[in-house]
Amino acid sequence: MANVFTLAADRFLGRGEASVAIPPMDGALKPNSAVDKAEHLLAIARPDNLLRAGNSVLFSSGRKLLAVSGNWSRPEPVVECEAEILATASGPDGSIAVFDEVRGLSLLDISKRSMVRRNIARLPFASVTAATFRDADTLLVCIGSTRNSVTEWQRDLLDSEVAGSVWSVDLRTSEAKPIAQDLSYPAGCIVLADGKSALVSESWKNRLVLLDLDQKKAPVPVLTALPGYPGRLSPRARGGAWLSLFAPRNQLVEFVRRERTYRRAMMAEVPKEFWVAPALSSGASFSEPMQGGALIQMGILKPWAPTRSYGLVVALDDHHSPVASFHSRTGGSRHGLTSTVEYGSGLVVASKGGDEIISIALSDGG
Amino acid sequence: MASSDILELRQVTKEYLGTAAVKDVDFSLRKGEIHAVLGENGAGKSTLTKMIAGAVAPTSGEILLEGKAIRFANPAEALDKGIAMVFQETSLIPTLTVAQNLYLGKERLLNRLRGVYISAQQFFQSLNFDVDPTALVSSLGAAKKQMVEIARAVHFDARIIIFDEPTASLTPEEKYYFFALLRRLKQRGVSIIFISHALEEALDVSDRITVLRDGQHVITADTKELDRDKIIRAMVGRTLSSDLYGHRQSARPYRRKVLSVENLTMGRMVRSTSFSIYAGQITGIFGLVGSGRTETAKVVAGVLKRDLFHGGRIEFEGVPVRFRTPREAVRRGIAYVTEDRKLEGFFETMTIGENIFVNLLGADKNKTEIIRKSDIIEAGRTWIEALKVRAIGANARVIELSGGNQQKVVIARSLAQVPKLVIFDEPTRGVDVGAIADLHQIINELADSGIAVVVISSYLPEILSLSDRILVARQGRIVEEFSAGEADEERIMYAAVH
Repeated sequence: MANVFTLAADRFLGRGEASVAIPPMDGALKPNSAVDKAEHLLAIARPDNLLRAGNSVLFSSGRKLLAVSGNWSRPEPVVECEAEILATASGPDGSIAVFDEVRGLSLLDISKRSMVRRNIARLPFASVTAATFRDADTLLVCIGSTRNSVTEWQRDLLDSEVAGSVWSVDLRTSEAKPIAQDLSYPAGCIVLADGKSALVSESWKNRLVLLDLDQKKAPVPVLTALPGYPGRLSPRARGGAWLSLFAPRNQLVEFVRRERTYRRAMMAEVPKEFWVAPALSSGASFSEPMQGGALIQMGILKPWAPTRSYGLVVALDDHHSPVASFHSRTGGSRHGLTSTVEYGSGLVVASKGGDEIISIALSDGG
Repeated sequence: MASSDILELRQVTKEYLGTAAVKDVDFSLRKGEIHAVLGENGAGKSTLTKMIAGAVAPTSGEILLEGKAIRFANPAEALDKGIAMVFQETSLIPTLTVAQNLYLGKERLLNRLRGVYISAQQFFQSLNFDVDPTALVSSLGAAKKQMVEIARAVHFDARIIIFDEPTASLTPEEKYYFFALLRRLKQRGVSIIFISHALEEALDVSDRITVLRDGQHVITADTKELDRDKIIRAMVGRTLSSDLYGHRQSARPYRRKVLSVENLTMGRMVRSTSFSIYAGQITGIFGLVGSGRTETAKVVAGVLKRDLFHGGRIEFEGVPVRFRTPREAVRRGIAYVTEDRKLEGFFETMTIGENIFVNLLGADKNKTEIIRKSDIIEAGRTWIEALKVRAIGANARVIELSGGNQQKVVIARSLAQVPKLVIFDEPTRGVDVGAIADLHQIINELADSGIAVVVISSYLPEILSLSDRILVARQGRIVEEFSAGEADEERIMYAAVH
């Protein structure tokens, strides 16, 4: 009962969970132009799911899975799925798992350019956001939400759904079991060196949690107050991980999330691209929502509106703390960074919002 | 005595219980000059000037005013002869108004209060001081009290005015007007003795500089012959300048985020400010007076409360916090080292050990429920040793210590609480250069040990030399962030004022 009163008071006073405060991008997250200055590799529609496979890099573009071995001007088609590819993962034995909305899980034989479908009961495939191998026979799968499909992620965010889960799939028996439930849109996961725990990004709570894969402990938040929505995680050669934040937070969206009547009317009546919601890219139409305002900066009065889209990749150390970050700011176009993989001396990044694959030199900072 | 000298001290000595505070000092003051007297805390500056002003009688030696030997029984006699002193600790009467304090000792038989207020108002305007003559002195801040004190000295038509640390509590704008006033007084033929810890001010405003060390005269020279390094060498017997205020080029790496302040709002002073603080780093916060730096720090430390409605969020170690009292913050591991140590930093009549033990109690870090004298002394001894406090022992009263050592006690009180985040607000204000080096070392060691450290300072060289990253506050919010490598004085100041 006390909790109900506290929540009501918080809502009235605009504090606690009802606060519309946003963490700053400072310190290790201080904005720069590293993503905008990064080397252009390939212009392609909605690139995603970057993956190392031997000497090649695999990535998806819509329904297609493509591969590049050094020459980025000539990506080779590997397979084409029946629906948009949602997630991929590569195992220690070289096996590659591919998820799509229609067929669910398939295992790829890259040499034969063919896939074998695996029928996994109970797993809600339409909401797969990320996958990673725990060992050669076990796959960890993030289900963003059981209420909304992946393409409806903005609706899931605005409704503040807590309907996500992480599943363990035994590839020998094709059985799946949830190892963590009631998560707020898990969208990335990486198994840690001990093999017993995994780092999972919980997007709508703007945090990373440590998951005990043996389910002996409850998930523990290890990195909180992120200024964006955390997505995929990939291994970092210097230790730790790369975290992609696919969209920025802003106070207007936080406010709308708390205004139920307005939010529902907006989602019912306004086309999705014009919702007051974060996006992978923005600026395509003057009708897009803006939070208007002005501030005096360096003696000049500037009109101001927080961006709906942004490009941000963060380097995490072994203790899951940010140590460096690469940005594409409001004025940039390489937004909606959803996937990363270290390749050669650089970090290859998929800009799903900017329809581009780029490479950030890792000589310093990374 | 040269013909241009108005005042001369010959072989003056002042002893307290056989210990010489000032020993065989020669000093001269010319007509219409600004003469800076510099030295570490305990060098004898205040004692020397108190002898000139009649507050202290010399044990031996001679004081000559316009060639005639004088000996004042009290400050009133000195004032009669045209020597006024503006003390570091203001000597105003708090229950009287500003105007009444201004005319104190110069009252006529029949005073018309309205007339006093009008003439006081005109007098303050002539000095460019923004002080309400009808306000009670007790309602004024430190800077305004200092202004009234200065105005009083000028009002007495003194031929010699002694200023003891006059600018310590003034804002940059007030300092500007104060220095303009000094120059105007000088043009009118008034001789000024100016005691300061701020070497730049002395170099900027004075004609000659005298340096004392351990109660003895070290050097007197024209200001144009001296520079910062020469003065510091004379003050402490070694070069400290580059060690003290060298520009940090490489920063400590980012570690765990300890504090996240999100859209924090408190009245007009803190306006939707956001920043993060990391473990094992020194985060410098620079801003001019009124930029909301101190208020922000005080909200974080539970001393002040943020706005009730939409006051923003503070996360400490990943957990949202809202402190109602400083004690709650202390127990969580947040220590705030105040900028006003005399008012808020310690109990001046209590011993070092007692002062530290009080904080142990506040943080529930005392060993047992029973308060034992031996525990108090042990706490004092431990921190005297750890921070190299110069005191006769844990039973020394804090009021007996120099400014630098008092500051070390204030820091010891905070560190005894085993904090995870320490916020230093103007840690070296009113502290001599020797102690500054010690304090900087303490701050650096804290960051090296993994503690998150925040240093709020309005002295740019200090910010630049200590900070791994620098945040600039303006108009109630953090407006800019610089890494150690990219920061310089010009860029920081530009961000602070534009």
